[in-house]
Order: sequence, then structure tokens, then C-alpha cells
Amino acid sequence: MNRANVFVPDARCIAIVHRLLLRSLVTKGRVVALLVVGILVGVVVAAVARANAADLSAIAFLELGVDLMTTLGLILVVPIVSLVFASAAFGDLREDATLVYLWLRPMNRWPIVVGAWLAVVTVSLPLILFPLTSAALIANVDVSLVSSTVLACVVGNLAYSAVFVLLGLLTKNAVSWGVGYVLIWEGLIAELGSFGERLAIRGYTRSIFSGITDVNLSTGNYSLLVAILVPAIVVVVALWLSSRRLSSLDVA
Amino acid sequence: MDNSNPATKPVTSLPPPPRPPASPPIHAAQVVNTKPAPIVQVDNVTKSFGSVVAVSNVRFTVQPGVTALLGPNGAGKSTLFRMVCGLTAPSLGTVQVFGENARSHRGVRGRIGLAPQQDALLERFTAYEFVEFAATTHGVNEVATRVQQSLQKVDLNPQEPKRLGAYSKGMRQRVKLAAALVNDPDLLILDEPLTGLDPLQRNRMISLFHELGNSGKCLLVSSHVLDEVARIGSRVLVIAQGRLVASGDYRRLRELMDDRPRRIRVLADDARKLGSLLLERNLVDAVSVRANTALLDTLDVEGFGRNVAGVAAESGIRLREMVPTDDDLESVFRYLVER
Repeated sequence: MNRANVFVPDARCIAIVHRLLLRSLVTKGRVVALLVVGILVGVVVAAVARANAADLSAIAFLELGVDLMTTLGLILVVPIVSLVFASAAFGDLREDATLVYLWLRPMNRWPIVVGAWLAVVTVSLPLILFPLTSAALIANVDVSLVSSTVLACVVGNLAYSAVFVLLGLLTKNAVSWGVGYVLIWEGLIAELGSFGERLAIRGYTRSIFSGITDVNLSTGNYSLLVAILVPAIVVVVALWLSSRRLSSLDVA
Repeated sequence: MDNSNPATKPVTSLPPPPRPPASPPIHAAQVVNTKPAPIVQVDNVTKSFGSVVAVSNVRFTVQPGVTALLGPNGAGKSTLFRMVCGLTAPSLGTVQVFGENARSHRGVRGRIGLAPQQDALLERFTAYEFVEFAATTHGVNEVATRVQQSLQKVDLNPQEPKRLGAYSKGMRQRVKLAAALVNDPDLLILDEPLTGLDPLQRNRMISLFHELGNSGKCLLVSSHVLDEVARIGSRVLVIAQGRLVASGDYRRLRELMDDRPRRIRVLADDARKLGSLLLERNLVDAVSVRANTALLDTLDVEGFGRNVAGVAAESGIRLREMVPTDDDLESVFRYLVER
């Protein structure tokens, strides 16, 4: 019975988990609900901007556009859409006791986590990008608003998804904890001062807007490099912690 | 299967091994340990969930072949299986599978096939897709062939287009079994695999277990049904209230269970007189009577059954009802625990 051990290569493992989770994450209810939220926010942003277009100077108009996008888009759409899918990635598998079919396999833990994170991004990013970029285009403020929206959404989605995948492995009430984190930490504490801002993803995604549009924001004025580098570090650390957590998890 | 835990009561009572014939002295370098290393080795394992002790100081080893784990619901069978698979860590003690800890050793996980007790499947998948998923996550070569073979082994049609969500309990059990078999594992852990199967399917699955056991695989199969265990494996581990209460050959275990004292409630016209007569003839060991009901304790349940009607008829006593009060499996386990 001494046969050679069989392992699943890491790249293959990422692909398997990605495919599995795409299939389980995409439900009609989730997609429609989150698309409606995104579209509503997009419509509000576009409508407010268009309504004020005639009364404002070009700079003031751009400032309004950035302000709308960084408040409604970055506080509501990006983190909430990421949260719903990321917390469900392992949360659903834990809840219906099917995680065992992934866990008890000759696979490393980190590719499982990376595959799950990529699946979350694959599903959530279009639901974020489509309404917010459309709003930026329809508002017709400036091309820099469109490019900063795209970059901030991508960076924010990647970082929030990694953090909330970890949250889904840490607690069974990831959505409640996640909403609390988004509203209290990212929404309020990050506004209070530079220390809170440094510890909030939103501080960096806002900086992408200020970096590209040159609009001076009250908070979030890091360089573009820092605004991309810090969320990238957040992604790596969150995924590493998720792998550790997955290894030590009690699986039903 | 070896059990040397002093808290456990081995039911096997083997005679001492015959003294080997005198043989020429063997050089130390030539000495070979002929006893194969156990596939599963559980050493003084305890598992607690807060203040609840699910498994308490359990110790046993398992060799290739079919071993049945018998115990009532909530006895700790699934927790024990989860620890063997590495799905949860013991609070105390160690569990080794193929000499390693399955929780941390990736290679060992690839040699285990588990059919868990919970009815959890990927509901949107077809049976083929589910078993194919198990095959790819195990790194199996020739996936399509292996999937077809595994499904056919459990009498499922690989072409069935229905989603698992629409499957019956029995079919779901067989899908889990097919997924557990697909990587040709050396250790198969099957948690209550016969639940929900009809008698024909049970027979088929039990034959399959024996076929696999005879081919050198190690199977650990749990059940809470005594008669099922009789057919699953001759080697039995009995777990009750989180403790391993007996282990060994099933026939000895059965004898032990049959030899336990029984209590029978008899409703008769003259229960007091009937009790006295049965005591006089040594058919019962103790009697307590209340109105027309006698509670009779006996160690010889067969002798009692053969003679009680005759004794009553001789004395003109009319028997109205006879009910064993402790013939359920819980009583058997309670007896084994208290023994």
C-alpha cells in the first residue's frame, strides 16, 4: 500500500476552485440585487452631476464628480458588492458543509484561497465597474474622472475582496461584521484623521482620484504609487492569513 | 486491530500464541518486524467542544480490511472520523494515518476517501460532475474513466442528467460513496453509508465493502445498527458516550451482548405465583411484582422464553403480555459502558 503521493499542482488547484466558486457564487438573486444597487448609485451620481453642469466651472464640476464618486461609489458600491461575494466564497461552503470536498484533498491551502479570491473578483468587478464607469461617462465631467473611477474600482475591489474572503473564514456572520466595518471604519473613522485613513482601504482608493484628477481631497492624498502599493500589500497579507486560517479551520 | 487501552474491554480472548519451534539464532541486522504498521493509529485521543467531551481517551489501531465502528447516535463516531481525516484536531492525544498527521500532511489526504455522514452535496452538480470534481481535486489521471467506473460501482448511471438536488436519500448516499472511491484510496472512511439505502442496495454496498477490504484496502465504516455491523465487518469497535467500550471480533461481541441480563415485564392472572415458580426453576434471577405485573430479571433469556409458557400452563396461570424492557440498542450500549 506504499504508493507515491499524488498532489494537485497549484495552478490547477487555482483553476478548479475558481471554476467551482464561479458556479456557486453566481446566483440570480445576488447578481440582480447588487446590479440594482450599482445602477441606482450610478443614476444618482450621473443625475446630480448633469443637473449642476451648467452652474459650475470646469474645476468645480470635476470636484463635484469626484466627491460624488468617492462618497457613493467608494463607500457603498465597491465594498458592499465585494463583501457579498467574498464572504460567501467560503461562507457558503462552510454553511452547507461542502467545504470538506475541497479541504480533504492533496492540495496546498494558498491556491485554494487564491482561486476563491479570483472567483470573487471575476464576479464582483463587472458589477462594480459597469454602473460606476457608466455613471462617470454619462456625467460627462472629464476623462480623468472615468480613468480614476476604473482604477479605484479595480484596486478597491481587489483589496476588499481579499479582506472579506478572510472575514468569511474567521466568522460565520461575515456579512454583518463586514457591513459594520464598511460603515463604521471605512465610512466614519477613516474620515476623522490621518491615522484612521491610513488603516482604511478607502483612504487609498480616494487617493487614486486625487492623484489622477488633481482634485485636492480633505483626506486621501497619497501618491498614486502608495495608493496602489498599500492595497496590494493588503491583498497579499489577507490571502496569506486566509491560507493560515483555512489550514487551522475545524471542518464539519 | 489492536487495543491496549486499559479503559477499554477487549472482547477477544485469544489463547496464548504457540511457542515457535527452535530456530537458528538470527543476526540483529536480519531481524524484521513482521507486524505491519497500522493504517490508523489513535492514541489516547480526547476531543472537547467547550465543556462537552465528545470523545474521551480513545485508543485503537486499524489494519487493512473492513472495521466497523458501532455506536448510538451522538456517541462520537463522526467526531472520531473527523479527527482521523484531520478535519478537526484532537484536544488531547494524537491521530496518525499512514504514520502521519492527515491535518498537516498533504500526501496523506490524497490517500483518504471520505463519505461524510451529513447530507451535503454540491446541489447544482450532476452525479457525474460531482464525482468528476472529486477526481480532479484528487489529481486523478484518466478522470472520465475513473468517474464512470466509480459511478457504476455504486449502481448509478453516469449519463443521468438530473441535478443532485433532485436525488433521493439513497442515491445521494451512493454519489458520496462514488466520490470517495474515485481516487482509489488506501483508506476509506464511510460514516453511516447505509442510511437511506433499500435492502437490495445495502446488500450491494456491503458486498462492495468486503470486495475492497479483501483487496487490501482499509475501510472504517460506522453504523448505529447492530445487525448492519454484523454484516459489515468481523472486526468491531464499539463507542458509547465518547468512550471506546469494546473492540474485537463481532461474534464475541454478540455473545457478550446476548449474555447480558435482561428484564422482561410479564402481565399475568397471578403474577406473584408465576414469579415464584420461575424462581424455583432457576429461570429468572430476580422478581418484583406489582398487582398483575411481574418484572423478571434473567441471564438465560432463551431458556426463559422456551419454558415460561409451559410453567404458566401447568399452574393454570394465564399469560396476557410479555415485553422485554431493555432490548433496544441504547440498553446494550448502556450495559457495555457500565460493565
